[in-house]
Amino acid sequence: MSVATAERVIEFRDALREAMSEEMRKDKRVFLLGEEVAEYNGAYKVSKGMLDEFGAKRVIDTPISESGFSGMAIGAAMRGLRPIVEFMSWSFSLVAADPILNNAAKMLYMSGGQFGCPIVFRGNNGAGGQLASTHSWCVESMYANIPGLKMAIPYDAYDAKGLLKTAIQDDNPVFFLESERLLSTTCHVPEEEYTVPFGQAIVRRAGTDCTIISFGRPLHFCLKAAGELAKEGIECEVVDGRTIRPLDIDSMVESVRKTNACVIVDQSWSFASIGSEIAAQIHAICFDDLDNRVYRVHSDDVPTPYAHNLEQAYLPNARKICEAVRQATYNV
Amino acid sequence: MTNLLTIDMNMTNTDTNTAADMESIEIRKDQLQLTPAAVPDKGVLLGFLRQMLLIREFEVRTMQAYQNRLIGGFCHIYIGQEAIAVGTIAAVNPDDPIVLAYRDHGHALARGMDPKYCMAEMFGRIGGCAKGKGGSMHMFDADHYLYGGHGIVGAQTPLGAGLAFATKYEDEVINGGKSNHVTLCYMGDGALNQGCFYEAMNLASLQDLPVIFVLENNRYSMGTSIERGTSMAHDLRVKSEAHGIHHAIVDGKNVISTYQDFSSIADWCREESRPFFVEAQTYRYKGHSMSDPRKYRTREEEANEESKDCIDILENFLMEEHDVTQDSVKQMARQVKAQVLQAVEWAKNSPEAPIEELYTDVYTDVWGPYLGTSKPEMLRGEGSEQ
Amino acid sequence: MPIEITMPRLSDTMEVGTILHWHVKVGDEVSAGDLLADIETDKATMELQSFDDGCVEQLIVSEGNQVEVGTIIATLSEEGEVVSDTKEVIEVPAITQEVPAVTQKVSNTPQAAPTPTPPTGEQRTGQRVSPVARRLAEEHGIDLNSVQGSGPSGRIIKRDILQRIDTTSETTSAAQTTKVVSTDVVPSTVPVTPVNIAQPLAPTSPWQQERTEPLSNMRQIIAKRLVESKQTIPHYQVTMDFDMDPLLEMRKTLNEQLAVSGIKLSVNDFLVRCCALSMATNQEFNASFGGDCILYHGPVNVGIAIALPEERGGGLVVGTIRNADQKSLRTISQESSYLSKKARESGLAPDEMGDTTFTISNLGMFGVDNFTAIINPPNSAILAVGAAIEKPVVRNGELAVGHEMCATLSLDHRVIDGAMAAMYLQSLKELIENPASLLV
Repeated sequence: MSVATAERVIEFRDALREAMSEEMRKDKRVFLLGEEVAEYNGAYKVSKGMLDEFGAKRVIDTPISESGFSGMAIGAAMRGLRPIVEFMSWSFSLVAADPILNNAAKMLYMSGGQFGCPIVFRGNNGAGGQLASTHSWCVESMYANIPGLKMAIPYDAYDAKGLLKTAIQDDNPVFFLESERLLSTTCHVPEEEYTVPFGQAIVRRAGTDCTIISFGRPLHFCLKAAGELAKEGIECEVVDGRTIRPLDIDSMVESVRKTNACVIVDQSWSFASIGSEIAAQIHAICFDDLDNRVYRVHSDDVPTPYAHNLEQAYLPNARKICEAVRQATYNV
Repeated sequence: MTNLLTIDMNMTNTDTNTAADMESIEIRKDQLQLTPAAVPDKGVLLGFLRQMLLIREFEVRTMQAYQNRLIGGFCHIYIGQEAIAVGTIAAVNPDDPIVLAYRDHGHALARGMDPKYCMAEMFGRIGGCAKGKGGSMHMFDADHYLYGGHGIVGAQTPLGAGLAFATKYEDEVINGGKSNHVTLCYMGDGALNQGCFYEAMNLASLQDLPVIFVLENNRYSMGTSIERGTSMAHDLRVKSEAHGIHHAIVDGKNVISTYQDFSSIADWCREESRPFFVEAQTYRYKGHSMSDPRKYRTREEEANEESKDCIDILENFLMEEHDVTQDSVKQMARQVKAQVLQAVEWAKNSPEAPIEELYTDVYTDVWGPYLGTSKPEMLRGEGSEQ
Repeated sequence: MPIEITMPRLSDTMEVGTILHWHVKVGDEVSAGDLLADIETDKATMELQSFDDGCVEQLIVSEGNQVEVGTIIATLSEEGEVVSDTKEVIEVPAITQEVPAVTQKVSNTPQAAPTPTPPTGEQRTGQRVSPVARRLAEEHGIDLNSVQGSGPSGRIIKRDILQRIDTTSETTSAAQTTKVVSTDVVPSTVPVTPVNIAQPLAPTSPWQQERTEPLSNMRQIIAKRLVESKQTIPHYQVTMDFDMDPLLEMRKTLNEQLAVSGIKLSVNDFLVRCCALSMATNQEFNASFGGDCILYHGPVNVGIAIALPEERGGGLVVGTIRNADQKSLRTISQESSYLSKKARESGLAPDEMGDTTFTISNLGMFGVDNFTAIINPPNSAILAVGAAIEKPVVRNGELAVGHEMCATLSLDHRVIDGAMAAMYLQSLKELIENPASLLV
């Protein structure tokens, strides 16, 4: 039985759907709305089949109207419903900035504890591939600045399901950042019920010479880089933060205390970013454990270009990560 | 579905907005005919009068407290518009959700919030309805299904759609019955120019949401008259008809007719599970906020509007129709004043929030520097629906 | 260009300072005159104020860290200046680049040695150390000055310390070999000054050490300056006994009269005046060795050594009684008790302790009969005073009971010869034993 379970391998998008469907079966307050989530079966086929199972009252197609339907979902959440709002892309969340930031993230505070906002906003984040600047947003640095919201960035199908179930069960607004480029990736996802808690980082690869911290899709580049560097005798420890709010800085520090070197890989822009925040915290908490300053790998500080070669040059990649690790470990 | 000829006529005829004695509510007659509810009895009307006097006295003391620096930030005074909050809220059930813009003190009191919690909120004290975290623009009261004043113009309109979505979802999906609530979403004429209002109407219409967008048209969005800021200001019905939502005009200075018309509209929305757009015509006596010198309009215009005061109208009606005496009205005013002054005292004596409150209510759970959440004094022991 | 704020010199002997507390943080706007930091000097805690308007760009030296005078400790950006990206993380230099400059005011701070002080191993320039390397070195007792950095700009990094730990454990031989002075820092042609307080003379075995306490600023300065004094000044001592009965008698009478004014003269107050007056005829005692010259001082500033209580970290300071030869006993007494009290309670300001030309160290109150003191540079002499003891004395050929006090001069032979010392003591004896002249 356990052998059979261990062999179950599914896609990232299926894992997301399983998380939503399982929670919707358990709790009638949970419903899904967004562009093309119902009849079209999801722009990225994440919600495929859900309309059939749950009906049009719980799997709701919305017009292209992010501000309106985000605000509507927040109003519903104030009543205690638990909406899942799918943004086809987080790039489109910008037109919903007022409701998601001003209302969802602050409602509990502004109402003095009277009205919470148990809501999940989820969708693709980051460069999809030659989508140019307006459609390639990495919103994590911008939105993580705001207290009152939580933020999770899954790395694989296992975490996608476990973290999304935690997000749906959470009584606070959760910004759930997926990646179009990961939706078709697969990994083992157990059949039985599980969740992945927020605020618990995980070591994706153990090492002694340099800590690499990242979230979501860039972790794949980090692991590739770690493989390359191992050939040079540099053993990297790759830490997946999993959630940005809450941030498991303790686990990151623990790793840095061991390796004395740190590289942060953050696919958003460098200025006032997740990367700069973690670097600042590490400098503040374990300065005396550092053998070098913290290095950071980000997307270049320009709008995302369309041209394939320029986009490749712009994004974080294994080569840039290797370079940063060599610098951080004085292997240049 | 609509009569093109009629639309053309309405769009060119600027005289159709005149509020007058009506036999039926002015709705697109080719679409819907509703009969106003009966005039309420004397007891109910005396209740309206008391509430309107309370709101006015409360707002006077609010201005005074603001000038004495007991209140900070932005503060918007409701004087002149009292009939709308009182008349509309009386027309719906106590558990029908309401959500507000930032000129929200009057509605909170009309909904039943004790004035002391409202005043303490503005004083930034722990006894405030939101523990002093929201201030004048953000009155919340879970016990009275008041889902907040909201400071960003128009931001409450999608929330209003969402509250209606939620009651409908609760009634139909969770409880397996028929939708049986109606949400009141108040807005000023400034919100007519915010995009999210049109998104909210579109969604409300598509989803058949029982929400009434109550436009309190006081003719100025901050310092800009509606004619200068809103296209088709002379015929606002076009704003909702574009979304297939009915529009009606009520006389926002007459609490009796507001109540009569609105009762009927609300019943229809509840029954049909459909949205509505109600334009209540009124006038804001004071400036947009406490710092507004009102240079954009004449004192003559103000005097003219104040001569048609909503409280006077109701008082006259009660004296003429129900033999209510001047003295009894004065006595009521004195009682109300004492109640408000008591509220001011209570608010003054309410302590400042302990510094730990800085870190409560950010998240419901405890992590990092955050301390979880707790209900304000207003709700303690009484329970709320959440 | 950012405005650089350097560790200021806040006392005459200050060579290093510790940032006790920053009153500003990065990004703060400051105006000229604003308080920036509290700085612990060798003797006092001082306030550092801003001279410029600007925005705090970097605080380079963090609280609790000690750097040499002149080290850049913070930068301000001028108005309108964009705060630069801190691509270059500035390491806190342990030691500054320059030897403290020899001041032109020769009268007060002459050079202590005839030849220019060469850079020593300790005063290594521009040293950069990574935080973990610094910590590891401290944990393993490795002198960072002896490590060659392999990082960028010679930064000492973890690898360098780990290699050192490896080599040290391999060479189990004599302790001397562990002290490696890298030749690129101290060229072999430059003589190494033997002053090195960082190095204990003999290694201690682990079982001897119950606990280790880092040297306080004051302890460091005492160690450094007195080693320097004892090693560079050719000391010798001359001792004399003094009949104290007349002075004690007069002191008793005066104190009875002065009691109403709340003044109580101490024996030391008399000695300050005696020593100051004796300078008039023995000018070498109010002079300093200047390398190729003798520097004669104008004012007679007598220093009095003040021991500090344990709760203030112990140690001692020298308070200055300026122009002591021109001050009455009453004034000297008032100043002296003020200085002692202030030194013990809150610490002395720089102008209350600098510029001495002669020092008195008195352990009489602790029952000490006789001791010798180390000269307090740039003084040429110091008087070590014991207690006035009741004992059998021979007076006019007869045995009697009287009070005698033993005092020992320590002298810089480069300035003062033995006979001169004897003459000074004679002059002192004349005054002490005939104290009435002190009153005029």
